[in-house]
Amino acid sequence: MIDLNERFSEKRNFFNRLVFVYVFFGVLFLYLIYKTFSLQISSYSDYELASLENKTREFLVQPRRGIIYDRNGEIIVNNKPSYNMILDPENVDDINELIFEINKFVNLSDAEIKNINNIFPNKKKLNREVVLKRNLTTEEIAKFEVRNYRFPDIQIAERYSRENLYPYLFSHSIGYVGNLDEEKLQEILSSQELESNETIFTYSNGFLNGKTGIEYVYDEKLRGLFGKKIYEVDASGRLLQEKQMIPAVAGEDIFTSLDLPSQKVAYDELNNRRGAVVAVDINDGSIVTYVSSPSFSVNKIANGLTQNEFDELINDDDKPFFDRAAQGRYSPASTIKPAIGLFGIDKDILDWEYTIQDPGYFILPEDGRIYRGWKKGGHGEINLKDAIIESSNTFFFSLAYQTEIEELRAHLSNFGFGKNVCDDCFMPDNGLLPSPRWKMNTHNFGWFKGDTVNVGVGQGYINATPIQLAYYSAFLATKGNINKFSFVQDNKNVDKNIFNSKNIKNIDWDNIHESMIGVIESPKGTAGRLRSLKDYVIAAKSGTVELVSTETKEDYQIIRETEGKRDHAIIIAFAPMPNPKYAISVVIENGESGGSVAGPVAVAVLNSLVKND
Amino acid sequence: MINFKNFIKDKIYIDSYLFISITLLSIMGLVFLYSASQGNIETIIKQSFFVIFGLFLMFIVSQPDPDFYKNNSAIFLIFSLVLVLITLFFGKEVNGARRWLDLGFFTLQTSEIIKVALPVFLAAYLYDKPLPINLFNTFTTLVLILLIVNLVRIQPDLGTSLIILIAGLYILFLAGLSWRFIGISFGIFILSLPFIWNNFLEPFQRQRILTLLDPNADPFGSGWNITQSKIAIGSGGLQGKGYQMGSQAHLDFLPETETDFIFSVIAEEFGFIGVCILLSIFLFILLRCLYLAFNARDRFCRLTIGGLSLLFLSTVFINLSMVVGIIPVVGMPLPFISKGGSSLLSFYIAFGIIISMATHKKLMQK
Repeated sequence: MIDLNERFSEKRNFFNRLVFVYVFFGVLFLYLIYKTFSLQISSYSDYELASLENKTREFLVQPRRGIIYDRNGEIIVNNKPSYNMILDPENVDDINELIFEINKFVNLSDAEIKNINNIFPNKKKLNREVVLKRNLTTEEIAKFEVRNYRFPDIQIAERYSRENLYPYLFSHSIGYVGNLDEEKLQEILSSQELESNETIFTYSNGFLNGKTGIEYVYDEKLRGLFGKKIYEVDASGRLLQEKQMIPAVAGEDIFTSLDLPSQKVAYDELNNRRGAVVAVDINDGSIVTYVSSPSFSVNKIANGLTQNEFDELINDDDKPFFDRAAQGRYSPASTIKPAIGLFGIDKDILDWEYTIQDPGYFILPEDGRIYRGWKKGGHGEINLKDAIIESSNTFFFSLAYQTEIEELRAHLSNFGFGKNVCDDCFMPDNGLLPSPRWKMNTHNFGWFKGDTVNVGVGQGYINATPIQLAYYSAFLATKGNINKFSFVQDNKNVDKNIFNSKNIKNIDWDNIHESMIGVIESPKGTAGRLRSLKDYVIAAKSGTVELVSTETKEDYQIIRETEGKRDHAIIIAFAPMPNPKYAISVVIENGESGGSVAGPVAVAVLNSLVKND
Repeated sequence: MINFKNFIKDKIYIDSYLFISITLLSIMGLVFLYSASQGNIETIIKQSFFVIFGLFLMFIVSQPDPDFYKNNSAIFLIFSLVLVLITLFFGKEVNGARRWLDLGFFTLQTSEIIKVALPVFLAAYLYDKPLPINLFNTFTTLVLILLIVNLVRIQPDLGTSLIILIAGLYILFLAGLSWRFIGISFGIFILSLPFIWNNFLEPFQRQRILTLLDPNADPFGSGWNITQSKIAIGSGGLQGKGYQMGSQAHLDFLPETETDFIFSVIAEEFGFIGVCILLSIFLFILLRCLYLAFNARDRFCRLTIGGLSLLFLSTVFINLSMVVGIIPVVGMPLPFISKGGSSLLSFYIAFGIIISMATHKKLMQK
């Protein structure tokens, strides 16, 4: 039928074509095998990792925040437990039936039931815990406990909230915690090489972060280290089983140097007046008392204020949020006089015998401008010691007049003016130790001799925070041998400031101490009324900060009609003499008299400190 | 005993190479499917039934002389076309597609039968035509092929219609379709690609092609399947994670583990070694078919064995290329491994016909 040759050629043609297709696919298959090889062998580690990441889900486990103690071991800030009712939704099919059963003994509000119904389907799908009720009362817990055999999927879980046991006493020193912003959270997590994941919260209000004070400064210590729970998950993100648990490391407790009793005294004595008290243990520069007034409740801040409450605090004219102790700038006024006196001795301008005639005012030779003292008619012939005790302005005007501002600045800087004197204070202000350059930059005016004269009595541009004043006080008390301040016991980081001057001898320090004792003990002392408030010896120097310069007492009477224009009352002190242990500064805004208004507060706090030792 | 053996040899037509390797593949398929279905006993029982029935069917189909298929190929084709038409009107609609005919105990994907019936018919049709195929016959067969392909395409079932088209074209090619014709057609095809892209492809099909080019563009959306498949295969490594230990498959990251993506499960659990073993069995079957085509007794058998084996080869290749991300995702099962009765049975029938052709010699050759 068909020619044999033709058949043969057709057959060969067929084979050629069939082999052609086989070879074609053979090449494709080689590529396929190469591709599989590259997936499984060459890129194995990448895909192994991808597969592992696919099937595991990490949960961060929040660490418990450290507890904060006072120096006597009293707890100041703690983690207050609250109890939540938690449901494991895996085996629950009818949530409404469960709610009905629970509602028989633990009342769930409509809002709570609505919320549970809203979140339940998704939580069940992903196998995540459902919070049925927060903040159970002990009665509710007891009611649940007797029935818990009926609810195998429900448990009571402990959650914490941060609680300051003395919410008003430590508002500015310890500060408060709040929720983290996203950026800060990323920063914290990346410091632990973690990623932002679902988190098992120990705290009922989520991530905590110190916002101010010690809570902020020691946040890293207090925070601890996040732990991890690693679960196997399926493609829908549903939790299957716990694979691994790396426990969280609780934050370190902080043992502060703060002294609860003196803190209470300071707070009570200030009695919501605007002002601040800072007291330190001069042996190590540790801060024992630190109050800025008026205060506010840190617990309310940490656990959420209503908008109204918040507005009230923000708009309060007394600015309760403002940390006067670290950031309030006050002229040191007459309290600076011992430092100026020491300057005179250091520069050999005067000695303890040196006297001047004090007519009650000082006339600046350059322009005849008159600088007045507080006492009409003056103090007569007066030496350094009495000039301190009686607080003669003229003496220090004339002393300052004989100096150069740069020398005076260098000297005062040793005493803590114009610099940070605290290792762990929250956002401390450096005050102002003015220089000609500063004045030119700020006021576009050159430095006048009169500006130097004003520094001599702690008025004019110079100002300092209560912390700096306390440091200055401690510096005098220790004869120039004081640690940088710190809020914690045995702070190893602090620098020690040792003041050396070949001209200032021990006897000069003693004389300064004696003069400052005289401020209270001498009949002519400006703070004589403090004498009866204590039964040991205190060295002090009071000051009255003029906010408005007035020529006469009559003028001041007009001024003081406006409370905000009244003089600030200020005092520095250390005690007990002759071996002082504590140094203190007190400022009361518009308190008018350093000796009689700020003084009693300082004495009361010192009483508490000295008596409790 | 000896007589009995001879009797069996004379009366029973069986190619032990193909029979053993296909049985082996089917059993392996069941083992893989057990893991891929996450130990679903019902699936395995059902599939086992198909495998046993399929092997039996293959045996039965291989008994008649090839002339039986040659003489009745038109009837088979018409019968299967009628089934497809019935499906179009009375088929079970799933996800907007009418591909299945509900037979009560089993839903039949009717287009799977045409996949076998068409090449057999074409081979029979060309049996007594002058070869290489002339222009007239080329056109008549092409028209027939395109008509049938379109019938399946409108179900819609792009994957199966493509494979039917390929099966038909293979026969034409093997029958000596002129290279010039192929070149011109290919040129026209390339030129009309933009037209096809715009008019014949559904948006989701275009998306699949785009996804292939850049699977990372949308890893949780359209790229999910292929991304997870690659992770499954890659994480299998050399030795695999172990039977039933594939996390990608068992934790639902991998889609369609029982059907299209079963190879990913195998690669994940048995690694590159397992892949190589599986591929060598496929290779063995294909080489055996090549050998049988060489030694086929006449043109009908040659064309049929060649066409059906290339159909098998293409199906395997498309499935594997899809799961490793060489070609876009199209629904295409892995023969003898994936779940699904119709596709399985059609391949048992195809191989039954191949075995029949391999074992029945012409009287003069005997």
